[in-house]
Amino acid sequence: MNPNILLIPILVPIIAGVLTFILPKSVKWGKEILALIATAITMYYAAVIFKAGGEGLRLFVPWTSFGINFDLWAYHFPKFILLAAAGFEILLALYTASFMDGKERSKEYFAYFLLTAGLANGAILSNNFVLMLFFWESLLATLYGMISIGNKEAFKTATKALVISGIADFAMILGIIFAWHLSGTLTMSEIHLEPMGLGAAAFVLMGLGAMAKAGAMPFHTWIPDAAIDAPLPFMAYLPAALEKLLGIYMLGRISLEMFTIHMNSSMSIFLMAIGAITIVLAVMMALVQKDYKKLLSFHAISQVGYMILGIGTGVPAGIVGGLFHMLNHAMYKCTLFLTGGAVEKQAGTTELKKLGGLFKLMPITGVAFWVAAFAISGVPPFNGFFSKELVFHGAVETGKMIFPIAAWIGAIFTFASFLKLGHATYFGQQSSEMPNKAPKDPGLAMTIPMLVIALGCILFGVYSKLPLKYLIQPVLEGRAILEGHAGHMEFWVFHLNWIVWVSMACLVIAWLIHQYGVKKGQGQAYLASEPIHNLPVMHTLYDWAEARAFDIYEWFVNGLLKGAAWTVFKVVDRGIDAVYERLIVFVGGVATGVLKEYHNGLYANYLAWVVGGFALLVIYLAVLVK
Amino acid sequence: MLLLFIVIPLAMAALMPLVSRLWKGLPDILGVATMAAMLALSLSQIRLISAGHRILWDAAAIGLPLKAGLMLDGFSLLLLITISLISLFACIYSINYMEHYGAKGSYYALFLLMVAGMNGLVLTVDLFNMYVFLEVAAVASYALVAFGQKHDEVEAAFKYLMLSVVATTGILLAMSFIYLMTGTMNFKELASMVGTGMNVKLIGLCLALFLMGFGLKAAMVPFHAWLPDAHPSAPAPISAMLSGVLIKVSGIYALTRVVYDIFGLPASVSQAMIWLGVASMVIGAVIALGQNDFKRMLAYSSISQIGYIVVGLGLGTPLGIMGALFHLFNHATFKSLLFLDAGATEYATGTRDLSKLGGVGHKLPITSLTTTIGTFSIAGIPPFNGFWSKLLIIVALVEANHVGVAAIAIGTSILTLWYFLLMQRKAFFGKLAVGLEKVKEVPFYMALATFCLATLCLLVGLFYPWVTAKLIQPGMTALSNAIGANGFSMFGQ
Repeated sequence: MNPNILLIPILVPIIAGVLTFILPKSVKWGKEILALIATAITMYYAAVIFKAGGEGLRLFVPWTSFGINFDLWAYHFPKFILLAAAGFEILLALYTASFMDGKERSKEYFAYFLLTAGLANGAILSNNFVLMLFFWESLLATLYGMISIGNKEAFKTATKALVISGIADFAMILGIIFAWHLSGTLTMSEIHLEPMGLGAAAFVLMGLGAMAKAGAMPFHTWIPDAAIDAPLPFMAYLPAALEKLLGIYMLGRISLEMFTIHMNSSMSIFLMAIGAITIVLAVMMALVQKDYKKLLSFHAISQVGYMILGIGTGVPAGIVGGLFHMLNHAMYKCTLFLTGGAVEKQAGTTELKKLGGLFKLMPITGVAFWVAAFAISGVPPFNGFFSKELVFHGAVETGKMIFPIAAWIGAIFTFASFLKLGHATYFGQQSSEMPNKAPKDPGLAMTIPMLVIALGCILFGVYSKLPLKYLIQPVLEGRAILEGHAGHMEFWVFHLNWIVWVSMACLVIAWLIHQYGVKKGQGQAYLASEPIHNLPVMHTLYDWAEARAFDIYEWFVNGLLKGAAWTVFKVVDRGIDAVYERLIVFVGGVATGVLKEYHNGLYANYLAWVVGGFALLVIYLAVLVK
Repeated sequence: MLLLFIVIPLAMAALMPLVSRLWKGLPDILGVATMAAMLALSLSQIRLISAGHRILWDAAAIGLPLKAGLMLDGFSLLLLITISLISLFACIYSINYMEHYGAKGSYYALFLLMVAGMNGLVLTVDLFNMYVFLEVAAVASYALVAFGQKHDEVEAAFKYLMLSVVATTGILLAMSFIYLMTGTMNFKELASMVGTGMNVKLIGLCLALFLMGFGLKAAMVPFHAWLPDAHPSAPAPISAMLSGVLIKVSGIYALTRVVYDIFGLPASVSQAMIWLGVASMVIGAVIALGQNDFKRMLAYSSISQIGYIVVGLGLGTPLGIMGALFHLFNHATFKSLLFLDAGATEYATGTRDLSKLGGVGHKLPITSLTTTIGTFSIAGIPPFNGFWSKLLIIVALVEANHVGVAAIAIGTSILTLWYFLLMQRKAFFGKLAVGLEKVKEVPFYMALATFCLATLCLLVGLFYPWVTAKLIQPGMTALSNAIGANGFSMFGQ
């Protein structure tokens, strides 16, 4: 097969994006058709590239000396990510066409959308660090552009996203420089290093850059802001789908190919700790949110923790779980944001207080939401269940019990918050404050993407063997990590052991917490709980919980848990935010102020500097000479 | 042939005051035509020079009783093209912009005089002629800074003059020391004589004088203080010329010629240049962050960007030189673009105080778009041209084991992005400021000039391998040969 076809998934969307920019406004449906055709071509060629056997396709053009080459290589790992990315690109193009219809600046949005697709595909396929950075950094520009299209505050958020991503990318570039220094090559597939000394610094810095792209803490604070300020399809497209794919893919390449992370090595603990902290802190913040989109955005952060935790375990089950979770998360979180968009467009608001009872009015959206909500919560047999189980298995295998426990705590509150979200939106009484009184399911262009991806969540759950065997497993084949695990490579064989029971128990605990919370919140429309409340078994369970755990719940949820959640939100989350928004600005302001003071316009002053500088030069160049 | 680069602008400069009396539009047409011709002439040399040739001209060959010559190599050609390119767009821009200043005849005369001085400076092969052309360009630029004749402008021009005098005194002093020791001013002859039994301390003093003098012309920290006053006070096309071209020709080019071609870049000078570059990079960027005057911010940013070029040239490795020369060219394109945009904003709104601007992006679509392109270029966002040259400099620094300096360079480029985004937000985005409701886009020729320069920033970025091969590589070869051919190192390695 001609390796030049690797250029198609990169160039076609970029060319279409540029065309969209210059398309005259009067051409109706031009941008939508252009976007659909471009993404369809990309999808087709992603599939063709995926089917290419052997070592995959490689396009190598020597560019300049100094090791900077135009080098694209689609072997098993990137071609699987490319296929996944192309799938999301086409579905989101369809959805966006309907969502952005008639909105101001929608032409610009489509242009950025297509440019992002091409650049992301380029970053996936690159096998040279400089080329990869070219695509990776260009994505910052389109990210900025897409966020800025939102509401009036969007410019601020876009700048924030740019600054935070810029700092993370700075770490990544520094790590790449170290890796280059150690290995002497910029070709990504030729780098094989031990994570020790400068190598450890390289690994940590590159890892931080990759994890920040995926939205891990502490580089996450712009995502919840963007959820409110940016146009909704952006959230489904970048933070939910493409950035997760890109970030975790890069983390995978770093920690599987360039470095090898052994179980319980310090690098493994580093990754697992970031994963565990991200899971727990983000989910606690998600729990206290009262806005559909904002709640989802915190989950987009929390779920990254599972992927990082899984990859960080350094055992095959965990790594497979982490990569599978990446794919699954992209699917269900994309669906969830798409349902959020449907609710926003139809009901006119995403505040939970003003929603309620939408399931009857918007059944298709409701079904898609619940499928995805069950998937993210790890309810069997949806896809999230299988990937989370693999992550739990991997974490338990390391023997450091704190990590699986953190993951389980995350599972409890994930389910609890989705019960709250689903309950408040789709069940209960329709709130009288809802701006649009008679919402209904949106048109096909918006429901098809939702349903297709939701169906995928079910298929990848029920037939989890397919993605595991054909997409994920090839990534690990032939790697040193598999030594001593040869017998356990059949990850799709489901083991009903105690780990599964613990996970199930977590779901039950979540359910109980939700039930109790609803009971306590009676009288508030968005906490109305009648449909579930009247089920007899639940009623018994609820009574049991009330009798046995009343004070603990009060103490736990209202006191410690709410306190902890708010503290985390106010101190840690806002604290990190303050570093970006206040401290850096303050330090910059002081430095500038001091220097400005000396630039007072006095000629004598300036002359004194010249003389001083000259004196130093004379001392250095003439006096100190041997 | 080479003489044409000096004679044509000089002759046109002399004609300008006369033709402006014939017809009001004539100076515009002649100015643009002259610069277009200069550009065509310099571009036509690319083929010969990139093939590795040098063009020489000697006054003795045409029977003049002068010991003077001209030489065109890769390095001079790069500067020659930069001068003509930026001058052409500055001239086009001036057609509308200089309308309300009046006295276009004298304006173009001074402008062309400055161009003639710069062209002579990059072509000459001996120290004394270098000094003469340096002063020709400088005197023209003092007058141009004060062209508006308001209080601030005259004061800035005077301050500029007074500090430049210090620089030229230093340069002249160093030249006389060298003449005293060697009895010649010719680069080639000097290169073969320097280091053979001369007083090392005296040569060190000369180098310090050159670094101070040319460093002041190039506005390196701590010799930079005149620039933030002088550049914003000049009319916008002149600011673009000063920041985009003049500081590079009379500062960077002259310094590089002297320390490379004559002294072969001694290790101590290399070290001193890297430190001066780092100081300029950081201090320029930090002060730029706090500026509320659009053009003043750009002026500080020039100091910061000059730092990158000096660091690259100070390194002296082929990659470092290449990055520095490429950045020199790129900075000329985007900084002159940004100064022209600042001028356009002032022209349209009547102010360049960022706190009084706001939300004019929709009113000034072309200015706003081109400023954004300039911002992306200067902050080093791919695929704009600034990204590639900064990348080359940073890669060169890492390759030469200056990882710390590389980190500072990356950090500074984040700072750059920061203050340019602040500027964008204050000037073009957000709510429309009070009193700016009737703002209209600038006239055709001003918009045309900025549009062309913005397109150039993008095209150079997209086709950078071609540009580096044709333009930058010959310059790099010329400079590398200068160090290689003259392996003299005063202070040991």
